[in-house]
Amino acid sequence: MATLTDNPLLSAGALEAVIRNGGDPEWLAEERRAALRTFMATPWPTERDEDWRYTQLDRFSVTNLEPTDGPASREVSERIRMRMEDSDAEGILVHANGETIERIAKIREEGVIFSDLRSAVRDHEDLVREHLYSTVNAHAGKYHALNAAFWQNGTFVYVPKNVEVELPLGAFTTADRGGLSMGRTLIVVEDNAKVTFLDEYTSDPFDARLFHGAATELVLGPGAKVRYLSLQNWGRNVAHMNRLAAKLGRDARLESLTVSVGGDAARAEVNSSMQGPGSESEMLGLYFADKGQHYNQYTLQHHEADHAFSDVLFKGALRDASHAVYSGIIVVDEGAQKTDAYQTNRNLLLDAESEAVSIPQLQIGANDVRCSHGSTTGPVPEDQRFYLMSRGMQPEVAEHLLVTGFLYEVMSRVTLPKAAEYVERVVQAKLGVPGVKEKL
Amino acid sequence: MADAPLQHPDADKLTGMEHEKQYDFQLPEKYFYKSEKGLNARVIEKISYFKGEPQWMLDFRLKALDIAIKKGAPKWGPDLSGLDFDDIYFYIRPQEKQGTTKSWDDIPEEVRNTYQRLGIPEAEQKVLAGVGAQYESEMVYHNLKEEWEKQGVIFLDTDTGLKEHPEIFKEYFATVVPPEDNYYAAVNSAVWSGGSFVYVPAGVEVDVPLQAYFLLNAQQIGQFERTLIIVEPGAKAHYIEGCTAPTYDSDSFHSGVIEIIAKENSNVRYSTIQNWSHNVYNLVTQRAMVYDNASMGWLDGNLGSKVTMKYPSCYLVGPGAHGEVLSIAFAGDGQHQDAGAKVIHAAPNTTSSVVSKSISKGEGTSSYRGLVQIHEGATNAKSNVECDALLLDETSKTNTYPYIEINEKSAHVGHEATVSKLNEEQIFYLQSRGLAEDEAMALIVRGFLEPVAKELPLEYAVELNRLIELEMEGSVG
Repeated sequence: MATLTDNPLLSAGALEAVIRNGGDPEWLAEERRAALRTFMATPWPTERDEDWRYTQLDRFSVTNLEPTDGPASREVSERIRMRMEDSDAEGILVHANGETIERIAKIREEGVIFSDLRSAVRDHEDLVREHLYSTVNAHAGKYHALNAAFWQNGTFVYVPKNVEVELPLGAFTTADRGGLSMGRTLIVVEDNAKVTFLDEYTSDPFDARLFHGAATELVLGPGAKVRYLSLQNWGRNVAHMNRLAAKLGRDARLESLTVSVGGDAARAEVNSSMQGPGSESEMLGLYFADKGQHYNQYTLQHHEADHAFSDVLFKGALRDASHAVYSGIIVVDEGAQKTDAYQTNRNLLLDAESEAVSIPQLQIGANDVRCSHGSTTGPVPEDQRFYLMSRGMQPEVAEHLLVTGFLYEVMSRVTLPKAAEYVERVVQAKLGVPGVKEKL
Repeated sequence: MADAPLQHPDADKLTGMEHEKQYDFQLPEKYFYKSEKGLNARVIEKISYFKGEPQWMLDFRLKALDIAIKKGAPKWGPDLSGLDFDDIYFYIRPQEKQGTTKSWDDIPEEVRNTYQRLGIPEAEQKVLAGVGAQYESEMVYHNLKEEWEKQGVIFLDTDTGLKEHPEIFKEYFATVVPPEDNYYAAVNSAVWSGGSFVYVPAGVEVDVPLQAYFLLNAQQIGQFERTLIIVEPGAKAHYIEGCTAPTYDSDSFHSGVIEIIAKENSNVRYSTIQNWSHNVYNLVTQRAMVYDNASMGWLDGNLGSKVTMKYPSCYLVGPGAHGEVLSIAFAGDGQHQDAGAKVIHAAPNTTSSVVSKSISKGEGTSSYRGLVQIHEGATNAKSNVECDALLLDETSKTNTYPYIEINEKSAHVGHEATVSKLNEEQIFYLQSRGLAEDEAMALIVRGFLEPVAKELPLEYAVELNRLIELEMEGSVG
């Protein structure tokens, strides 16, 4: 059994340095200290913990990792530069090794705040104070307590009432060497406002191991509409731990998509709390693991209010002795009548050494609901492959086509054509489709 | 409405079966020996002494006690805090002599009357190959029709099985469910008493069911039957188990272990309908090893008890083996039915199917908890799981916890679950055709259970029917 040991670099003294260097106001310093106390008091998860029993914990170890200390160069790397050009974002932030090195904002809509989190703490203190730690805090578990105490920087987005931000906003998180980095995204969207946000994690290859902890907090006021895309395409030596938690007010609508295609190991926890009646959350997930990659995805659809809707669709493909876990639960509270909640997980196994685990769960405490879930796991359908081959296709080509087609169902539900194209390219490059390189 | 029977293939045979108040029994407590309360080595030594067991069995029991103490109770699942081992009699011996009788006349009158009220002797005459009856901790009656005895079928209580067929017994006992398996299996291994020992020789098809009926009468008793069923290649058997107990204020505990070995090309079915009173904790381990091209079917009906934790399982260890679990659960006020199924595909071309139907009413909670595991090398395995839950009231709850672990590319695995409430339009339609509201509800509930109910043995289908009507009465408010 893997045991994780504490990292002596994550001490109270180290935290005071973080607070001092960041010039944190006293309330934030206190939040960080409380989070560290929770971190210290919380044992590391083990395989005996239900939520972690399928997670290969040693691949998420932070032992001996030194917190990152800014990038060697504040130049935006070629990789990120190309990704920036390829996105049609109105505003972009670049975080490298825990430091924000670039901010481009051409936002035309009035009153919209788009800045790195540390600047926001300084410039919009009341707003940040009201919402920070409201959906992901130290009590979410050991790793999230670590993030709540030590987060280095991140992104803050605020969209005032009735404002619709037309083009997407986004942040690229990257690193140029190993260590321990932690970032946070806080997005607050007021009544009837609208925004699309892309959080992308990507890096060029480097030798040492990196652990990146990410926390994303989404706060949707009544009638707010948010599209959120988390795209994890780290280099192969990175462990990525991400928790995305949203709370939705009355009639709010969230569309989220969590993509895992990079890294060595990644764990994504995606939670939506339907707190307002009539709120809707569509939670999509796509993963393609190869060459021994290990992906975990956990979803929670928490129906606290009545008349709300949620729909989870997570699809994944696995090959080359890879490992993927999907575990999701629909929780319908007592009194959350007229709930509509669905949950689907589909896995495609492309070789005998890979392993898929699927645990779709329901906990229903109200009777006037429509809830269902489904899970399937299987190989590429033989009859479909046969059909394509009968039309003259080579077996590999048929398989490539069927795998991309299988995953495309998820991408087709996201109205972000540029991002969808990019993910498709990454998938094709992983599949080894001739002529396709994962254009940087 | 009581006249409209469940749509069952044998429905026309229903007439004349009397079912009123059959569970409403409570006899004066009479016993030959009652252990001290609690679970300890003294109690175990006493049990073994009374049974005149070989030393190896006593050693096995004591070792199992150690394992249980080391393991400790599981921390997941329903609330078991009301279950206090120190307040339970782990062994109650109803009569002095060990062993069972083949004649109902030898059984004390009041006990016999209870079985008669349940219709067991009558059913034995009409439709069964053999019957066993357990009262408190011991089997009191066990009988197999001559026709089957002649063909080499063994149907005994487990204690007699150990005495009379030590070689067969030792070869298979605790091989399917070892005491290390889980806490309650360890507890059972330490204090087991009674249960059935079934052996069907190669090629013998016992095409009428064998049945055992388990009664608890004493208060605060624990019943730990141990059933071992060995079905040799090409043979066939159907075993039915029924359970009931009177209602007391204090809680009782039932924790059986059922081990089945289904050899090559055999066909085995095991049907349970438990209707324990609502003060019984029912924590049972049921498992079958299924060899090449054999077929194993569990039918699991959980209607009674306070808390049930029971996940009948099939270990498909031979190529072409097939496993099936049909599960019905009904959770009324204060009941928690945590039922489900486990299927392990460990060989190529194995197939499995799980169908679960649960109904929660009032403050009841029903859960489906399941595992489907496909091992590497179990090529072309196919598994399908379907769970449907019906919630009758605003306060009713249902949970679904399916675990699916797949390590084989060519596996085809599917899982589906739905949750719904009674359809108002359907009720309205039936009312417009002249049915009262509770009659309409009962009809819809029976329709919901129909796919599973039609697989039930006749008398249990009747029982289920009766229970649903009973539960539906006065549910309109």
